[in-house]
Amino acid sequence: MYDKIFKPKKIELLTGEVVEEKVSRTWIYWIIIIIIIGLSVLLTNFDFSALSRSGLFLQKLASMLPPNWSYFDKVLPPLLDTIKMSFFASLLGALLAVPFAILTANNIVKNRLVNGIIRFIFMLARTLPTLVLALIATYIFGLGTFAGVVAIFIFTFSFIGKQLFEVIETVDMGPFEAAEALGVSPLKAFFIAVFPQVLPTYLSTALYAFEGNVRYAAILGYVGAGGIGNILNDRVNFRDFASVGMILVSILVTVMIIDSVSALIRKKIA
Amino acid sequence: MRGKMNSQIIEEYNRRPKKWFYYLLIFIILLAISIWSTSVVHYHGVSEHGALIAKNIFTGIFHPDSSLIFNFTETGLAYLLLQTFAIGILGTLVGAIIAVPLSFLAATNLVPNWLAYLIRFVLMAIRTIPSFIYALLFIPVVGLGSSAGVMALGFESIGMIAKLFIEAIEDLDMGVIEAMDAAGATTFQKIRFGVLPQLLPDLYSILLYRLDMNLRDAAILGLVGAGGIGAPLSFAMSGYKWSSVGAILLGLLVLIIFVELISSRIRKKLAKG
Amino acid sequence: MIKFENVSKVYPNGTKGLTDVNLQIDQGEFVAIIGTSGAGKSTLIRCVNGLNDVTSGRLFVNDTDVSKLKGKDLRKFRRHVGMIFQSYNLVPRVTVLKNVMFARVPDMNLFKVIFGLFSKEDKLVALDSLNKVGILDKAYIRADQLSGGQQQRVSLARALTQESEILLADEPVSALDPVTAKEVMDDFKRINEELNKTILLNIHHVELALEYASRIIAVKKGKIVYDGPSQEVTKEILDEVYRKEG
Repeated sequence: MYDKIFKPKKIELLTGEVVEEKVSRTWIYWIIIIIIIGLSVLLTNFDFSALSRSGLFLQKLASMLPPNWSYFDKVLPPLLDTIKMSFFASLLGALLAVPFAILTANNIVKNRLVNGIIRFIFMLARTLPTLVLALIATYIFGLGTFAGVVAIFIFTFSFIGKQLFEVIETVDMGPFEAAEALGVSPLKAFFIAVFPQVLPTYLSTALYAFEGNVRYAAILGYVGAGGIGNILNDRVNFRDFASVGMILVSILVTVMIIDSVSALIRKKIA
Repeated sequence: MRGKMNSQIIEEYNRRPKKWFYYLLIFIILLAISIWSTSVVHYHGVSEHGALIAKNIFTGIFHPDSSLIFNFTETGLAYLLLQTFAIGILGTLVGAIIAVPLSFLAATNLVPNWLAYLIRFVLMAIRTIPSFIYALLFIPVVGLGSSAGVMALGFESIGMIAKLFIEAIEDLDMGVIEAMDAAGATTFQKIRFGVLPQLLPDLYSILLYRLDMNLRDAAILGLVGAGGIGAPLSFAMSGYKWSSVGAILLGLLVLIIFVELISSRIRKKLAKG
Repeated sequence: MIKFENVSKVYPNGTKGLTDVNLQIDQGEFVAIIGTSGAGKSTLIRCVNGLNDVTSGRLFVNDTDVSKLKGKDLRKFRRHVGMIFQSYNLVPRVTVLKNVMFARVPDMNLFKVIFGLFSKEDKLVALDSLNKVGILDKAYIRADQLSGGQQQRVSLARALTQESEILLADEPVSALDPVTAKEVMDDFKRINEELNKTILLNIHHVELALEYASRIIAVKKGKIVYDGPSQEVTKEILDEVYRKEG
């Protein structure tokens, strides 16, 4: 359709053949993008003049340093809570994702209806933002870490589930067929023939999810779902920025440690 | 050598690698951490109140508040969703503007190692600060409202955009650049025809992926007063206006699915080149 | 003993895989099936252990009608028929020994299977099979680190561990170089002679078929066009089997 409006250029080669060079569509993509950006600026009433006041931002940032070191013992319990939350929810999510991923992989379970329903569940769970889920969870289960665990669990479950079934569907089915020829039932055949092939990806994905979840759990506290976000929010409200700085530093160190350990493990698995 | 004495087999059997101890150790460690982490779960049980709320949210989703949905003014659902979308777009843009140059400075194949690692550390620090902290920091600067949301999202995105983009830069096929060198290309030409065609598709892909995530975060930033649909959602919930909650959730769902569909189609086209 | 009685197989899209096949193979025979690609060699072999189902006719293996078996019964039956595949079908990241022990899985409960808890007896039987094909020393090496010929031997060892009376092989040497192919065919011959197992294999390499098998079955377009001793196979017969249709 685009080609009808902007007719391709005809080039004649030395041999007499005529070749068509389509007019580049890039510039129209750019126009669309610029329009979208422009509209966005309008919609958000973005105040460009404010950028000149960015000095204020750096000032606020500076007030967080030096961090209030003595605050650390108040930081530790909620920090540990956050780690526990992420670990437990990630573990549960990772474990439960396996049976559901098996059921929805169309090379293992050939029932399209089952495949479709579970994929829909995965999609639903993935789509709602974790924070929204956490917010809702606090209303249903009350404030505190349980709500956070629920939210992280749902996200991890759908994230790992999707990655897992996609990998399962690309696996070499030869060994699976050989297992069937041996008289092995499909479920057992899955574990001996398919699972070893997807195990590295599964573990890698699970670790990645855990890494991300620890960071996210810090935010969840903001909606009251427990963990370190709670005291963070608290200290900000009290304008106690030195303590805020301490909390942020603790989070940073924790995340760094977890990331390095996770990277090490992932190297060993590959 | 074939079909010989049984003793050879027994010998081989005894040679088997005794890995079970190692696996047991790992299992015990995992078990210990798991048990330790369950202490965080205080299940008060779903109180009557909680169950009621769950039911209400459910009914709210199926009987959404149509006055919200069909309200096309500034307080209507459509406007708020579009605003959320806009915050996501601009936030991603801001993130990109800051992340891209920093990524170049953090690539080990372009700059000396010490600089790369320093910048990476800075990036990691930036990444660790949760978005709502940024929002809180920016509100005094740009005022309440969407602009703060944009800046907050922008800064939060820097981390991930940079991480993925650095990978893309380090995966650059330097062979192409060398070949251009050999053909006598200028620096500008090398960048325009050698580097950009390799990097741009990756960049677009990364940005689209990030846009997806930012949209979800944008939704919640409203809670800190940073615009978009977060605030109305929160108000509706604390006011127990379940049909409004339902309407908002549905709208959010539609928006995210819509963006995801478009972005995955675009990403597929980018991958095909 | 394997007995085909008027067996036909028609695929869901209408293609005729096998038409009216009648065959009897006694215990201990070494039979090679030859024919062009798509003639029906694979289909025929896979009917014997139920990997392909039969549309009409009856297929008996030692008095069991395979065409009627389903689910659990089919799985129980398959334990007594070993199969070797062209692409070996071993699980790459797993050790040779474990791959061979998969033959013992049908007798294990799910929990043991998931965690790979094989018994000492499982290991000894598997090691014995590996010894019979001459690769005992490779037991603890990852399967994907072996050469093609070695991997096929592992797959033979796996079939041997089943202690089945019948061994099916779908193009077992097609992916191997000529020297290794002969070695694997030697293994088949030994297993046939020493253990009196029935060998039914597909092969498109006619010389090897004639050299090793005592009986040749030629398939063309789903029908059997020759069934007799390999010594009596003449050039005319081969031309007929492999002749391209107009």
